[in-house]
Amino acid sequence: MSAPQASLGALGRFALFLWDCGVATLRHGLPWSEVLGESYRIGVRALPILLVITFFLGTTLAVQGYNAFQPLGGSRLVGMFVALAGVREMAPIIAASMVAAKAGTEMASQIGVMRIREQIDALEVMAVHPLAWLVAPRLLGILFVLPALTTISIFVVLAAAFLTSVYQLNVSPEIFIEFVRQGLKPEDLLWGQLKAMAFGIIICTVSCYQGYTCTGGPEGVGAATNRAVVISAVLCVALNYLLSRLMFT
Amino acid sequence: LTETLAIAGRVGLFAGQVLLRALTPPWFLPELARQVWTTCARCMGPVLAVTLPFGMVISLQGLQIFDLFGAQRLLSSLVSVAVLRELAPVLASVLVAAQGGSSVAAELGAMRIKEEIDATEVMAVDSLRYHVLPRIFGLTLSTPMLGLAGAGAGLFGGWLSAVLIEGEPSGVFLANLWALTTPMDLWAGVIKTLCFGFTIGIIAAYNGYHTTGGASGVGRAVNDTVVYACLVFFVENYFLTSALFGAAGT
Repeated sequence: MSAPQASLGALGRFALFLWDCGVATLRHGLPWSEVLGESYRIGVRALPILLVITFFLGTTLAVQGYNAFQPLGGSRLVGMFVALAGVREMAPIIAASMVAAKAGTEMASQIGVMRIREQIDALEVMAVHPLAWLVAPRLLGILFVLPALTTISIFVVLAAAFLTSVYQLNVSPEIFIEFVRQGLKPEDLLWGQLKAMAFGIIICTVSCYQGYTCTGGPEGVGAATNRAVVISAVLCVALNYLLSRLMFT
Repeated sequence: LTETLAIAGRVGLFAGQVLLRALTPPWFLPELARQVWTTCARCMGPVLAVTLPFGMVISLQGLQIFDLFGAQRLLSSLVSVAVLRELAPVLASVLVAAQGGSSVAAELGAMRIKEEIDATEVMAVDSLRYHVLPRIFGLTLSTPMLGLAGAGAGLFGGWLSAVLIEGEPSGVFLANLWALTTPMDLWAGVIKTLCFGFTIGIIAAYNGYHTTGGASGVGRAVNDTVVYACLVFFVENYFLTSALFGAAGT
């Protein structure tokens, strides 16, 4: 089978998987008790790492923005650079890739391990539909949690950039805030939430699919986990361009 | 906190053991070349697929800033600065951590739990030297190459978005492309990616080499690798950026 045929086949299987998940969830109901647990697992466990990464993202953005505009005599524009690059693009995408790296890989490896240990077959034997039980709560959890994580990242990025600009780069605080306000509109926060939801859907469905279709023992789980994070990162970045194009022009 | 410090210490000791072996022969150079090649082949697709749309996004948002001042001709200068200095090294490293680092952790983890590493030791082959060292340096050497390829893709993405989609004149874009960048920016990117690649290699090898607990252990090793490698090199990135580009305020 040639490469385009193989990737079309994979796409088709993925679409069927989504369809099965939807049908199973409608028919068997959503295990609400699981949703809260998944939200906790996705959100709270990713938070400390996300805080550190977004803090250093903000500091780096401020330093880079300052240096990039310095030859143009516009180093005061650092506030606007941080607002546009950080709030609109980097914060949502970094939050999404961290959740893909932490929660997405965890979903893929948990479900993959259940698959190769035949626990998924055991669920079916107990008349629990595995797709309704495994996928739907994770999807709902990530939809609740990722927008919240994105909002937190946006504020951490801004705060870190503010601290760096004022204390390391000696930009006056009033000017920084003034340019941030010029660069941002209140809608930008809303767009950030929408982006986060779209990324969340991609991360969750891709990771669950990779785990669910995992074969071949321990290496299989490793490979599925690996594919989960790479494919969701690539899809998120590609989708990000389309969303930015629609939202900001 | 003590737990974190203890882990940092163990990773440090592991890195020390590996580096000591790197100083003395025998080096398994064919194995190293094979690792560089596999890492590049594995990561090239994802790296290009991520840096290209990101270049497009930078161009899209940059146009918004410069539209305010009517300075659209500076767009390509901003794109090349952003891509060369920051985006290509960081995004390439994220993808190397996600693809190359995690497969190194998965391979070593699977070898550990199948007792293949013990078998190597029984045959009096030093497993750190034969299995771990080429993988770490494979990642270290291939990350800069992937970073450069990613920079090319990012610039091309910026051009694509500005010229083909937004209709900026191509000549102006190309003429101003190198207005703000110097060869130094390229070298800074290479230095950064070397550091990030080494970090990813050490963390991946540490997690894979110390896998315990069957298939779920391998999954956990892969997970930890991606997360902690990203965490560490984002922190590194700030200090490297400050050091390489000089960050004293005026």
